[in-house]
Amino acid sequence: MPELNETIHQPIRLRIMAALVTLKQDEELDFSTLRKLLDVTDGNLGAHLRKLEEAGYIAVNKTFVERKPRTYVAVTPAGRKVFDQHVAALKAILNSK
Amino acid sequence: MEISPTEAEQALDAIQSMVKKTRRAVASSGSYIFLVVWGVIWLIGFTCSQFLADPLVGKIWAVLNILGAVLSAVIGIRMNRGVRNTSVSPLLGQRLGLFWLLLWLFCAAAIAVIWPPEPKQLAMIIILFVMTGWIAMSLLLSMTSTWWGIAFAALALAAYFLVPDYFYLIMAVLGGGGMIALGFYIRSRW
Repeated sequence: MPELNETIHQPIRLRIMAALVTLKQDEELDFSTLRKLLDVTDGNLGAHLRKLEEAGYIAVNKTFVERKPRTYVAVTPAGRKVFDQHVAALKAILNSK
Repeated sequence: MEISPTEAEQALDAIQSMVKKTRRAVASSGSYIFLVVWGVIWLIGFTCSQFLADPLVGKIWAVLNILGAVLSAVIGIRMNRGVRNTSVSPLLGQRLGLFWLLLWLFCAAAIAVIWPPEPKQLAMIIILFVMTGWIAMSLLLSMTSTWWGIAFAALALAAYFLVPDYFYLIMAVLGGGGMIALGFYIRSRW
């Protein structure tokens, strides 16, 4: 039976992962777009992204677009896999009701 | 880690809602707006072509086309989706812009070659060039609406050759209306 992932299960991190897995494999989401989608502050989002990055579930890519700094975030293959496992675990719990 | 079925259900709902929100906001749903805008323009323009006299129709089309071009440019710029594809060249946007510019220049050249065209010929040539651009974009970017582009072009050709008296009306209702319907279908699917 798949197991729940504590890092991912935190509500904001769960929504971050849900947003990122929606993108195609080669796509990255801009930090400010992600912040607007989640309706959280810069600091709050940054802290949760760090946790996910440390776990190896996302990759944070800092770059310059038209001389302005931009941060892009993408889910890693490992992140996609654990997210799928987490969703499977949630479904299993719901079905065991 | 253990949670109750209620908590699991809430978490799954949160995931579903976030997936939907992300798709709507950043995925390819933005393209539906172009279809709706140009569908409305075709619906109004071709209806006018069917029922109104030539000099007035020309002016209406000129206004509609300028409006459509301005709206498309504004939507295209504002549609900066906040998503970057790492496998696509950053110059893709500029190349696509250049493609459309060249396509319009070739369209103008084709019209110049057959000048003076009949109003229906003019409409048909523009439709064929627009559909060429549509199909090219679809083949390059998503493949999702390639067949629709081919279907619209086939419909226009069939109406032009088989029922020329109702060509404009068919293009208004099935062409313009079809584009609006397709736009809303794409939006609802996402």
